[in-house]
Amino acid sequence: MTSTRSGITKSAAKRILPVLLLALGLSCATTGDQGEGDVNLPNAGVGPFRKLDFDEVRGIAPFVLDEEPAAYREPAVVGDGPSTIMYVVATRDGKDRIVRSRATDGRSFFGTSLQFGKKPVVVLSPDAPWEGNALAGPFVLRLDSGELLLFYAAAGGIGLARSRDGVAFTKEPRPVFARDPNVLWETTELRAPTAYVLPNGKLRMLYASGVSIGEAESADGRTWTRVDPEPVLGPAAPAPPGYLLPNEKGPFDTAGVSDPCASARITPSGRFHLRVLYTSLDPSGATTIGLAARYGDSGKLVRQTSPVYSANQKEAAPAFVEGSGGTFLYVQQERSNTGLGGKKTTYPAIAAAFAPANVHLPEPSDFPEDP
Amino acid sequence: MAARQVLVTAAIVSCCTLGAAELRANPPDTYGFGSRETAMGGAMVADVRGVSANYYNPAALARSRGLEISLGYLRAGHHLYMNGLDNHVDPVKGVNGGLVVPGRLFEIPFAFGIAIHLPDDRISRVRALRQEQPRWELYDNRNQRLFLAANLAIEPFPWLWIGGGLSFMSSTRGRLDITGGANLFRSDESQLRHEVDADLTAVRYPQAGMRVALGDRVALAAAYRGEFQLALDLSARLYGDVSGLTTALYELQTHSINNFLPQQVVVGGAWNVTNHLKATFDATWIEWSAYKAPVAKLDVTLDIPPPPSGWPANVQPPSSPAPLRIDTIRMRDRIVPRIGLEYRVLQLRLLDAFARAGYEMAPSPIESQTGVTNYVDRDRYTFSLGIGATLKSFAKELPAGVSLDLHLQWSELREETTLKTNAADFTGDFTAGGRIVNVGFTTTVAFDGPARKGEGKK
Repeated sequence: MTSTRSGITKSAAKRILPVLLLALGLSCATTGDQGEGDVNLPNAGVGPFRKLDFDEVRGIAPFVLDEEPAAYREPAVVGDGPSTIMYVVATRDGKDRIVRSRATDGRSFFGTSLQFGKKPVVVLSPDAPWEGNALAGPFVLRLDSGELLLFYAAAGGIGLARSRDGVAFTKEPRPVFARDPNVLWETTELRAPTAYVLPNGKLRMLYASGVSIGEAESADGRTWTRVDPEPVLGPAAPAPPGYLLPNEKGPFDTAGVSDPCASARITPSGRFHLRVLYTSLDPSGATTIGLAARYGDSGKLVRQTSPVYSANQKEAAPAFVEGSGGTFLYVQQERSNTGLGGKKTTYPAIAAAFAPANVHLPEPSDFPEDP
Repeated sequence: MAARQVLVTAAIVSCCTLGAAELRANPPDTYGFGSRETAMGGAMVADVRGVSANYYNPAALARSRGLEISLGYLRAGHHLYMNGLDNHVDPVKGVNGGLVVPGRLFEIPFAFGIAIHLPDDRISRVRALRQEQPRWELYDNRNQRLFLAANLAIEPFPWLWIGGGLSFMSSTRGRLDITGGANLFRSDESQLRHEVDADLTAVRYPQAGMRVALGDRVALAAAYRGEFQLALDLSARLYGDVSGLTTALYELQTHSINNFLPQQVVVGGAWNVTNHLKATFDATWIEWSAYKAPVAKLDVTLDIPPPPSGWPANVQPPSSPAPLRIDTIRMRDRIVPRIGLEYRVLQLRLLDAFARAGYEMAPSPIESQTGVTNYVDRDRYTFSLGIGATLKSFAKELPAGVSLDLHLQWSELREETTLKTNAADFTGDFTAGGRIVNVGFTTTVAFDGPARKGEGKK
């Protein structure tokens, strides 16, 4: 019934078919790897973060700075060329002071418990009457001039110290910003300052009080005025009845927000973008790290519905620094230790996490020889 | 005449029921099939012939007068970036080939054709990404697959061609069972039994076409390409004893559409402007609005009863993850115009040489990704060039000759910026754009048959 109308002969077919089969065989498509397509993906530089793995840190992951007596907490970080400088609260001689450490890889910090005989250097101690016995909540801002502004909290409000080299700081004699009893939501003394620079050169500060976060503005860092009498971020409202899916968790910060850490950037579209990591608190007392942000220099912060970091180990006081390959997050996190005799102790230490989460870091560097 | 009517009816029915399809996510859909056709912008529904008809218009298979075998290769390199950084989207490369076997049935010319795009990295790649992860939705994963089509066509009248057939893909179902005991304290003493069961279920999708010759110089044609979904269903079940303390049951079921091809209708024409110049035009309507995003729907059950003595104070038992809230992808139907030109630059007794050019404008069907999803795409403008040569009377066994065609296809994806509504979005604003460069060749060996009245050669 069927006949080809070609003049093909058996000999021609014999010559062609092996060539065809060889070509198809050579292109056999069965051994490909998983491929790429997920490289250099855009991200806002603020998570979600994954805690560092055991082979990415020296010591017990994800901790990068720890020592039980010092009880390191409330980190602040700033980039300095290839180094990451960390300012952190430590207990020394019965007082809470601010100490400085350094790492060249973002992970191997000078003076951690594994680097025997070394300790972070004290840069600021409570020695003014208004400060009481403890300094807390440091935040460091590097200005275009190279000057470092170190904001911190103490008993009488928020203080400011300045430095050119990051080691020797000169304090303002009095708090630069303090609680206003007329502002109803400021139910506690101001704490956890963080600052950023507007495109017009003015300074902005976010600070915590009570269960919320407010915002203030200054031209020189010494005199601050509130931008809005209302907080820019407060506790989230609980999910409406019937909204949540089975097993779905509601907002994780319905009990309070605190410890803001701000960083501003210009997006690829040219928009001014303020990003704030903060400590969230739920009614059970559990903490996580959340993200809130806004475009422009005014208005409330809007929150991300998913936490950026959650370890269920009392994580708090986030700080982050961006590099070319990603962003390091540092938090105060509870660490457990089993000592001689099986006695278990817990104390705060500084843990690190990284984003993008699919990037695995190379082996950690050696500890630096100086802070 | 009765035989002719029966055959025509059978052909139409087969087109409607069996019919095959090539759709926008098969590699040929994005990069073309055959160098001549790619060089002419893919505007080929009314002018295609030979092996490439399996893709562009199966009716045109019956235009072949003798056995034809084609074999070629293409490599489409992606240079797609977001925020100025290349995303390393894998190239699409592989062999294109196939054959056309013409014949006569009840004195009616017919042809059978088969075409294949065989990637040289992998036959098919399955990926289910989080909906938030930025990805080049139309170029990253969808084209990493095999294309295989088989078609039938008839020529019931000297001015009419009708054809259709099948394209084949496979959907995936898999099951993983792990049972036994896990020792948390000495993992080498764990005894677990694994059982994997996977199926590849054949999926067929239809294609049909027709071509009408309006005299010697003009032809019109239309093709229909059906919808196709490539499903990925996976389930996993873990059950066992945990160090004698308790038991654990973990059940996971995931369902996703790994690849979705919307239905298309193509209409077009071909015009032999002079004996040396040919112009072609296609317009393709694509029902992108029916698109289903390749996001996995997860159902998870986790049951770990507390030990008889209760949970230790420092142990918090895990809870079942919440199901994912999937944001639907919104896409718009599109009409894609294509034009092509072919000029015979040389006509000798033993050699014909051609220069070709084409253009395609494919507006992105994906709405701006201002929410949590990041299905990235951009308007695509494609320019193509090509040359070809046919050696006639090359050998005694090859009276119709041997052809070699080359193509260069250059696609520009216009850079645009996506602005996120939520300032706390993890991805944030981004710009995206890029280009795709596709080069390749096709060789065709044609065994001529008896010429039909009134039909010239290419």
